[in-house]
Amino acid sequence: MHPTPRPDRGANGTGKTPHPDVEFVFDRAWADELAERAARNGPWDDWTLFQLAVEAERAKLVASFDELQALRCLPALTPMPHQIATARKVLHEMGGRAILADEVGLGKTIEAGLILKEYIVRGLVRRALILVPASLVLQWVRELNQKFGIPATAQKKAHSWHSDFVVASLDTAKREPHRELLLSGDYDMLIVDEAHKLKNKKTSNYQFIQQLRKKYCLLLTATPVQNDMDELFNLITLLKPGQLGGQSDFAANFVADKRLPKNEDRLQEALSAVMIRNRRSDGGIAFTRRIVRNIEVKLSAEEKALYDAVTGFVRQRYDESGRDLASMLSLITLQREVCSSRDAVFLTLVNLFKKTAEDSPMRAKIWELVEFIRRIQANSKAEKALELIRSTGDKTIVFTEYRATQEYLLQFLKQQGIHAVPYRGGMNRGKKDWMMDCFRGRAQVLVATEAGGEGINLQFCHHMINFDLPWNPMRVEQRIGRVHRLGQTNDVKIYNLYTTGTIEEHIVRLLHEKINLFEMVVGELDDILERFEREEQPLEQRLARLVLESDGDADIRRGIDALGRSINRLRADAKRAPKPALERVLPVLSVVPDGADAAAELRP
Amino acid sequence: MNAKQIHRFVERYLEATGCAILEKSPAHFKVKLSPAADRELTNRPYYWSFVDRTGAEPETMSLLLVTDAAKYDAMTMEAEAAGAGRQPGSGSQGATHSVAAQSVATPSVAAPSVAAHSVAAPSVAAQGGTAEQAGMAALSRSFGFVPAGLGARTPRDDLYFGSRRLEQLFAATRRGGRFVCLFQQPDERALHPYDSAPYTPWLGVNVKVGFVCDMKREEMHAFGVSLATGTVVERFFDRLQGLKLTPRLPANVHVAGAALTLKKAADLVEQALMQKLKTCDYGWAAAANRRLAEELAQLAHYYEPLIESADDKRREQIAAQYEARKEEIVWQLKPRVVIEAVNAGLFHLSGLA
Repeated sequence: MHPTPRPDRGANGTGKTPHPDVEFVFDRAWADELAERAARNGPWDDWTLFQLAVEAERAKLVASFDELQALRCLPALTPMPHQIATARKVLHEMGGRAILADEVGLGKTIEAGLILKEYIVRGLVRRALILVPASLVLQWVRELNQKFGIPATAQKKAHSWHSDFVVASLDTAKREPHRELLLSGDYDMLIVDEAHKLKNKKTSNYQFIQQLRKKYCLLLTATPVQNDMDELFNLITLLKPGQLGGQSDFAANFVADKRLPKNEDRLQEALSAVMIRNRRSDGGIAFTRRIVRNIEVKLSAEEKALYDAVTGFVRQRYDESGRDLASMLSLITLQREVCSSRDAVFLTLVNLFKKTAEDSPMRAKIWELVEFIRRIQANSKAEKALELIRSTGDKTIVFTEYRATQEYLLQFLKQQGIHAVPYRGGMNRGKKDWMMDCFRGRAQVLVATEAGGEGINLQFCHHMINFDLPWNPMRVEQRIGRVHRLGQTNDVKIYNLYTTGTIEEHIVRLLHEKINLFEMVVGELDDILERFEREEQPLEQRLARLVLESDGDADIRRGIDALGRSINRLRADAKRAPKPALERVLPVLSVVPDGADAAAELRP
Repeated sequence: MNAKQIHRFVERYLEATGCAILEKSPAHFKVKLSPAADRELTNRPYYWSFVDRTGAEPETMSLLLVTDAAKYDAMTMEAEAAGAGRQPGSGSQGATHSVAAQSVATPSVAAPSVAAHSVAAPSVAAQGGTAEQAGMAALSRSFGFVPAGLGARTPRDDLYFGSRRLEQLFAATRRGGRFVCLFQQPDERALHPYDSAPYTPWLGVNVKVGFVCDMKREEMHAFGVSLATGTVVERFFDRLQGLKLTPRLPANVHVAGAALTLKKAADLVEQALMQKLKTCDYGWAAAANRRLAEELAQLAHYYEPLIESADDKRREQIAAQYEARKEEIVWQLKPRVVIEAVNAGLFHLSGLA
């Protein structure tokens, strides 16, 4: 009838213990209270409740050390075999301190939830702290409540720290006044999601986690090593100091080079005591198909005039600046915006105008461009997009790079009687969730400027329009990833709008025809771009230079072809190369076959 | 606990706390809580402190407790289908339902109007449902999760083993059933009006023993101690189950005097338990101690050279960290046996022990 006293806090042994190795803690307060009630002849409790209490305790009894109790309490959840295996290993072999390093999408959250639930059911965890990136707080709260029946709350106000199961962002937690409060308490379990943010021991993140008092600890990351061996050492040391020896032992025993391990077998063995990694089988995942259509848009005479004027203006400025790429950023933006909407161009021109000195001859030129904008009556691309949206008649997400274009499109669609809602990076979490709900509900169209960040999972929608294409292929991939992901049951239709006779035409050609971006396997692109940047400048800069320096259309075409060739060469290299050595040492628990995990990522 | 056991458990709890059962089937209860149960289950401390201070008439909540979700859902579906079937020819829209029903109801007898009610009701509920869902969606955007049925008039709870509501009921029984004082009901027929039957007072206690390191196993034991003789018996709770017990002293009964104090009896329980615990297997504890020693050695291997080579300022910091790590590991791994009483009582049983 009293909570179990903390074993490390004043326990009262009896002196004559049944076993020398074990401390016996006997709570005797009940006898006093019974005596007191007997002396005062009451108050007495109800006999039925007394019996029910015994029945309840019997039902909850943890009969064995190693049988998973959590599973019988979770009728709403059917974990996959590798998730159960992981939970068992953490509970029985690792004593509840582990790095869960599954590849993306295999359900690290489920594993962590299972482990937490098991400890709760066994009465070993009463209080837990879960630190995650701000964008994932609500998602964690949702999953713990819905899938695991764990009454987790999101940290909102100071008092929410006192809840038994708190989910908070690491960035908030490590700041005063929260920091002091958290460091003064102790947690039966600490879970840190996206734990690759804890690789550098000089950071405040690292030191904060190091100082927290915790009994069990789970660190979740899909990328336990990214760059060098020290990161690995730091992460392990955070969890279990000495597991890889001291810093110097580690360097001597396991490090051949900053990025290259030695004694791989021994290292892997040492790691396997604290780390679990489940991998996908190499075939990738059984996704639905991507159907890509490039849709040509012919600029009206007025739009074309603006495009040519802006192009001329930008190139002239570039030559004047002595071909300094760094100072040209806003002008390159201008060049790209002109393919998107006049609103976007106008906004940038106004800003440019404000920044220019009053007596500069530039101002007159900018005015000239504004005159071109004035003559434009309609947006050919928006008309085309409208046509597409009407023809699908289904949920459609429209991506654009520019805020001004987004505003324009929202207004345009509204005029046409289509219910559209915005989504952008600057919105706070609540508003983002609200927009998501609207899109899931009544709205037919979501106009988004941001594809990054978690939480926009749009499996319920399978039409996507790229109103303009980013020059960074990773951003394109992110956009597609929002819709084309685990849980998507339809083939995904991707429409790329491009204006003929503009730079866009070349970009589409590069991304689609030359490097076949739209059909790449998840993760492949990342690897290729990394290789590309190691050899050359970032792709965006290469493109900018190409546009600014080329002599006419044919020249650009040649440049794009060359770019395509070098990317494809890297791609072939990437396919041949074995897994990087750093990755090789990670202890793999199981390899999960294709398609088995489709349910894992299905978010509510 | 299976669905049947849970159902029985809930039923007995509701009866014991004096809740009014409005509706029940083998798969559910619809219940208006008694004030005592409301205080335990609805998490409304402010409301109850308001009632206590102002003396206002308390308005308790009603709950829908579903003990077998699959069966209950099938049942309600069937009922709805039957309800719809009674109104042939009406469309699926709620509005057309009620209009059609009324036009039929006015000229004719009472029977169709009953049907009209039963059909119209779900449509109203459905409308309420959508507004409610929108509200819920808004709340859950802000808090990530809102327990189902919050704010609804009769919130529905699915009670399965591990569900929050059942956990809450478990905790409520444990709070509400801690100490009892009971008398065995004498067998009416055997009782002679001028005789007085001798009763023995017993101390009964249910204890839970936890064998804990980083994992845990539990046992439950029920001890009884005769306060007259000091005899200790096991499985005392099961013995009580077969008896009729009442909180009032029956007529024609006399209770033997207690030779032992409760304190002394509690000591006897502890001794008996310790004796029993001697025979347990402590391999788990030895293993845990081994792991503890290993981990401490590993820590020492890491920290000691670090402390030695550090400058004075850093040394203190590292030493503090070392201490903290050691404490954590002891906290995590140290084997211990934790014994707590679930509940206890005085039982006056017929006969002399």
